[in-house]
Amino acid sequence: MKNIKMFAGILLFGSLWGFSEVIIGSAINDIGLPSGVIMTGIFAIIFLVLSRIIYRQPGMQFGMGLIAGGLRLFNPFIGCHLCSAIAIMAEGAIFELIWYKISFDFSELKSVIMRSSIGIISAYFIYIGGYIVTQILTPIAAGANFYIENLIIFMPRILSSGLFAAIIGGVILPFVLMAKDIKITLKDKIYYPTTIGISILIWFIVVGNWLFI
Amino acid sequence: MIKGKERIIPILALIVILISGSSTAYVYLSQIEKDTITINAEEYTIGQLFFMVDTKAIQTVEGEKTGISLEDLIQKIGISCPDCYEYTIKAKDGYEKTVSWDILSTGILTDNYRVFFPDTPKAFWVRDIIEIEVK
Repeated sequence: MKNIKMFAGILLFGSLWGFSEVIIGSAINDIGLPSGVIMTGIFAIIFLVLSRIIYRQPGMQFGMGLIAGGLRLFNPFIGCHLCSAIAIMAEGAIFELIWYKISFDFSELKSVIMRSSIGIISAYFIYIGGYIVTQILTPIAAGANFYIENLIIFMPRILSSGLFAAIIGGVILPFVLMAKDIKITLKDKIYYPTTIGISILIWFIVVGNWLFI
Repeated sequence: MIKGKERIIPILALIVILISGSSTAYVYLSQIEKDTITINAEEYTIGQLFFMVDTKAIQTVEGEKTGISLEDLIQKIGISCPDCYEYTIKAKDGYEKTVSWDILSTGILTDNYRVFFPDTPKAFWVRDIIEIEVK
């Protein structure tokens, strides 16, 4: 029963994350702001950490990345579906690795310095990790060759590009962790229809857009 | 254990800021500013390239794009046996992508120094090009 509850949570939070990438990410991109940095520093951190707080289950954020990345593949608004989808999937996996040693009661994250520090580390490595993984996997998935020298020469730029994501993550995460003191309990007969209903609605909107626009 | 983490995590965060900050400084200082494009070790202005090669339009996932054919360009600058080489397209910010002739020959170069290909992910659409290395 606990596993089914977690899968419903993965579906919900993964869909919300993917939906924010598709809709809000596109809007941010349209007004000329760095959407990748903002989406990772704010939205990815919010959804990943909130789901960690609520469900306290390892592996969940990796699953969320797969769902969000899958949803991103259907995004009708921005050109590079494949690179973003791969990056999002990698972000979920990298978050799991970073938070592997952080306890589920977050007892080590009591001070603002610790919360801010883990925010900086998480946002930075999620962002540059996603960037690096997509640089490797996108050419391969597209049937072209991957050239390691192309990546090495661009590494300073990639390492630099995560700076703002790190700063945003360091500011956002202490606020997100405040949610760990909020207790909300939903009965199963409300929980499942709500999580699955919201998820279906999100997928309907995104896939519907893809099919009809 | 918690005490150890309380020491290590802020230090790691500081290292992250230092690495990303120094990388930002390096990128800013090493950025190349030039208006010409080097192709096979020869310098060309974008005007010269557009004078040498006819424009064509291709369909991409972002709609129709118009520019000069990279296939014609490589042949016009005197590369015999173009499919014997690979081509590294370099941007002024250090970004680069190496492609085979099969991919390069489908692409175009626009007058705002960007290449587009009809059948590749956007990651291959290098912008602010300063060089096409033939190797």
